[in-house]
Amino acid sequence: MTNRYQKLVSAGPAKEVAKRLGLPRPAELRRYRPSEPLVPGPVLVLGSGASAEPVSEQLLAWGLDVYRHQPQGRRLGAVIVAYDDVSHPGDLADAALELGPAVRQLAPSGRVITVSRPARAGDAPAVAAARRGVEGLLRSLARELRGGATGNGILLAEGVGAGAPSALAALRFLLSGRSAYVDGQFLSVGSENGAAPEDWDRPLAGRVAVVTGAARGIGAAIARVLARDGAKIVAVDVPAAGGALTSVANEVRGTALQLDITRADAGHLILEHALERHGGLDIVVHNAGITRDKLLVNMDEARWKSVLAVNIESQLRMNEAFLGAGRDGLRIVSLASTSGIAGNRGQTNYAASKAGVMGMVEASAADFAAIGGGINAVAPGFIETDMTAKVPVPTRAVARLLMPSLMQGGLPVDVAEAIAFLASDAAAGINGETLRVCGQSLIGR
Amino acid sequence: MSVVEDRRTIVLDQAPPLARSYAAAARKAAASAVPGLGRSARGAGGQELPPVAHRVGGVRAERSRLARYQRLMGDTLRDSLPSVFVHGLAFPIAMGVLVADDFPLPLLGMVHLANRVEHRRTIGADEALTVTAWAENLRPHFAGTQVDVVAEVSAPGGADGDASAAGAGSDVVWRGVSTYLARGVDAPGAVRPQRPSRPDFDAPMRTGQWRLPADTGREYASILGDWNPIHLSSLSARALGMKRHIAHGMYSAGRALASTAPVAGGYTWSIEFEAPVFLPATVQFAVADAAEAGPGALQFTGFKRGASRPYFSGTVAPR
Amino acid sequence: MASSAPSAPQHPTTGARTVRDAVVIGGNRIPFARANGKYADASNQDMLTAALDGLVARFGLQGERIGAVAAGAVLKHSRDFNLVREAVLGTALDPATPAYDVQMACATGMEAIGSLANKIKLGQLDSAIGGGVDTTSDAPIAVSEGLRRVLLEFSRARSGKQRLAALSKFRPKDLAPNAPGTGEPRTGLSMGEHQALTTAAWGITREAQDELALASHQNLAAAYDRHFFDDLITEYRGLSRDNNLRADTTLEKLGTLKPVFGKDLGSKATMTAGNSTPLTDGASAVLLGSEEYARQHDLPMLANFVDFEAGAVDFVHGREGLLMAPAYAVPRLLERNGLTLQDFDFYEIHEAFAGTVLSTLAAWEDEDFCRNKLGLDAALGPIDRSRLNVAGSSLAAGHPFAATGGRIVATLAKLLHEKGSGRGLISVCAAGGQGVVAILEAR
Repeated sequence: MTNRYQKLVSAGPAKEVAKRLGLPRPAELRRYRPSEPLVPGPVLVLGSGASAEPVSEQLLAWGLDVYRHQPQGRRLGAVIVAYDDVSHPGDLADAALELGPAVRQLAPSGRVITVSRPARAGDAPAVAAARRGVEGLLRSLARELRGGATGNGILLAEGVGAGAPSALAALRFLLSGRSAYVDGQFLSVGSENGAAPEDWDRPLAGRVAVVTGAARGIGAAIARVLARDGAKIVAVDVPAAGGALTSVANEVRGTALQLDITRADAGHLILEHALERHGGLDIVVHNAGITRDKLLVNMDEARWKSVLAVNIESQLRMNEAFLGAGRDGLRIVSLASTSGIAGNRGQTNYAASKAGVMGMVEASAADFAAIGGGINAVAPGFIETDMTAKVPVPTRAVARLLMPSLMQGGLPVDVAEAIAFLASDAAAGINGETLRVCGQSLIGR
Repeated sequence: MSVVEDRRTIVLDQAPPLARSYAAAARKAAASAVPGLGRSARGAGGQELPPVAHRVGGVRAERSRLARYQRLMGDTLRDSLPSVFVHGLAFPIAMGVLVADDFPLPLLGMVHLANRVEHRRTIGADEALTVTAWAENLRPHFAGTQVDVVAEVSAPGGADGDASAAGAGSDVVWRGVSTYLARGVDAPGAVRPQRPSRPDFDAPMRTGQWRLPADTGREYASILGDWNPIHLSSLSARALGMKRHIAHGMYSAGRALASTAPVAGGYTWSIEFEAPVFLPATVQFAVADAAEAGPGALQFTGFKRGASRPYFSGTVAPR
Repeated sequence: MASSAPSAPQHPTTGARTVRDAVVIGGNRIPFARANGKYADASNQDMLTAALDGLVARFGLQGERIGAVAAGAVLKHSRDFNLVREAVLGTALDPATPAYDVQMACATGMEAIGSLANKIKLGQLDSAIGGGVDTTSDAPIAVSEGLRRVLLEFSRARSGKQRLAALSKFRPKDLAPNAPGTGEPRTGLSMGEHQALTTAAWGITREAQDELALASHQNLAAAYDRHFFDDLITEYRGLSRDNNLRADTTLEKLGTLKPVFGKDLGSKATMTAGNSTPLTDGASAVLLGSEEYARQHDLPMLANFVDFEAGAVDFVHGREGLLMAPAYAVPRLLERNGLTLQDFDFYEIHEAFAGTVLSTLAAWEDEDFCRNKLGLDAALGPIDRSRLNVAGSSLAAGHPFAATGGRIVATLAKLLHEKGSGRGLISVCAAGGQGVVAILEAR
């Protein structure tokens, strides 16, 4: 799916005109299709970190061409930089200077991925400086990449090796088309938990996944992607969206559960449906959300309360029910928003709820870890949906084209891919995190 | 109730066409019309009915006509003849009797008062029928003179009811008596009886409703051939001094029987016409059990909402 | 048959308990819409497809081969000669799912569901979907009888002369189209006019009818408010509630309406648009299965479809009211199942008109009627009115003829399942002096 502008400037005379005028020419992003190659070319592994070795081995095991030095005359599918050993800002130089020429050879929709460790309060200042330095380098490089290429990083917590299941799963996610609209982000792997799936094309096989707000837009895309990855879907939405919910449920061969999630017993009803009809509950995606935009000076009670009730309060209540039911290994993925990170004019209520989601996720991580599960959030940036179609055209054009590094809005499927990844058992070592799917928009971190 | 011994039977090759009968009736009317009231039954010995019966053999129902009839009445397409359809087959022969030169009453303007019919057994659509018709029982009525026109229909197959010989080897399967009134006509010396007191009409609970369009009479005529102008259009009826055109009495009878007559076996039925059904019309229809008229008997009434007398009423009883 | 079988047919026991249970798994319908409104563009096939698809989504039946789908419509286009099969082909069900049309006027849905239940009981089917659909907005309009005959004759004509002869029979008045009415073909009276006669005969008051209508609206509204219909209804074309529902109606408002039926009864006319069902569009479907089927597919079991019985009365000859057939069918059903009229926790009596329900109840309470018409020793007696149509009925929800049976069966099955025990009685009257009644039992 591409927008009209993108099509116009990607071909024919308009392409030349756009080029000369310096207009942004968004690239067609490489998106995941089962059985297609993980990356569009060989992978160059740079850097002297300990991670270089296990990462290379895993890449070879995945059937990729792996080079430790830039191969002559070959376009690179990805460049991975093992920065996990840097202890001084000076340590960044060698790999950085090799990375420059390599990026020149990067294929369209290629990948640059750093593997490093997060700076912590107890680190020696030089160590922390070097580690944070990786983030600055990567985020800036990501803005320099063109042709749909992205730059992201994996942060390995102290004691977690690059061979940890979630580190490898994160690596695979970032290499693949699943992360098409994830750019300039760091995925933090906090533990060695998790297990690689038997089949990377069906990582959710046998899992029962509940998706709220599944009737339309991002929710429908989530249901489709989770189903594609093998999950049995319980599609939840309000009765008023029943017709669309039916279509989605029938398309993904799941069941439709008409339910207002603000009901006090919503969590219980979801559990009951999932257990009785599908014999389990493994994944819950808190996607249902509403906007009732208004400047705060004009905000009324109904607008404020309904947004908070749907977008965050319902999630808190349902999570309590799920934790109370002790569903071992339950993985939750909640929808946050870049508005909740950077703020957005007219969205005080919405941003409060979405920032609240991120707070909830961080604070709930330990509780879900205790039952062998996990909870994370995904914060979409500008995504082309029915909801954003209501944004005025100029605002939309700016949001879509100028702000993100990828110079385009994302698609619902991009958000869904990130959610599917975080919902998988392989991502069990990632907990309490918020992953942005924003094409590296300018707003926020 | 059978042909009296001294009545002479005239056997005709075929039924006289109704159009010719109506034309003859019109000529007769023109010749004998005396302006104003007080017309008398004409001719010497005018109180006498001619002692003749007309008979036509080999009368058969036309299948397509039967189908159109059954459709018009909302009845089911069957291979047996509805009672009113049999009446329609016999009607031209009966008319032949009424328009004969020596028949003492004017046909045009005669009012159909009642019918009593014995439909003695199921009559197949393929049966060759013999129709014998005559007039009898000329008698005064409070408004003029009335006469019964009897038609007997016999078939070779025999009747399962009481058999009265109407032709060699045949039994009467259908016998109808139609009573007509020549309004304002008196036989010489006849004394009209008092108008009987009529009980107030108490409309029964309706069980149905007929909506009769303006062309009801033309539809009926196109099937059974009774092109009497009083049924055809407002204009043709006014030409004969009517306010508007009216439904055929036998149309009402046919509709009533379509929902009340037994679908198999014989039955007797009767109908009395009390008020003309001016077209178009909405007729309220009521059926009810009439145990006093025999087991399985039904009575029916057609009426107009709020009217002081019904359009018609009658009974049907299985034989 | 094995040669050792006894020569005389043996009825193993009375009632329908000798064979396996037929279980109501659940139901789905689209909200019912007043005619010429929200669903004005939708055909019977469209609506039935939507109802079936919603059922498929609710129970995850995508790609499933269901034993049989039986449904129907009262008002049908000639193009809908295979309505249900065509609808099935448009759903997410396995295209190898057989389907057939049933038609029994307003009892179409009940007859479809009941006969499917029988097949399940007999082991002929493991799963089945029964239901119905009707639209008065997209009703078939036929050419006049005259034009139709001219056209038929024309098409049969072999020569130009014959064709000319056929065309010569055409009359301008034949151009007027025929729309279907709700009139009884044999009497020419509309259903409402028929019921007006019955209502008057039983002396049912205007107040009693309005009270029943009010209760229907209040009960339906309350059921929506407690989310009762969340798993019984699927939004369609922007409508997520029956739009005939007037949650805020009052006896005063109902009392201001003028009579629309039985106006010939003068001051005794009691039937208004408020205590009669409006013309409505909608569709419903009910999933039935054997116990094993439900268990194997992890599907809920709401109630057993215990038994059903059809009845008919002679309204043509004025011997009984058009919509009184259930009054006759119920005692036979009770007798067969060894029950009394009071042995039920719920009564679902279809509200074709408030007068229909009240006349039926009055008849059952009437000693004379029960003795002379039903041949019983005594009156069937009164029912506990607090158990009547507790989740609303047709006066509030509307009545898309063939879809009503599916609405009632699914509603009652869920009510029984919620209660966890007991049984319910269904009574649905139908055009042509017919009716179907049924018993459901909680699971």
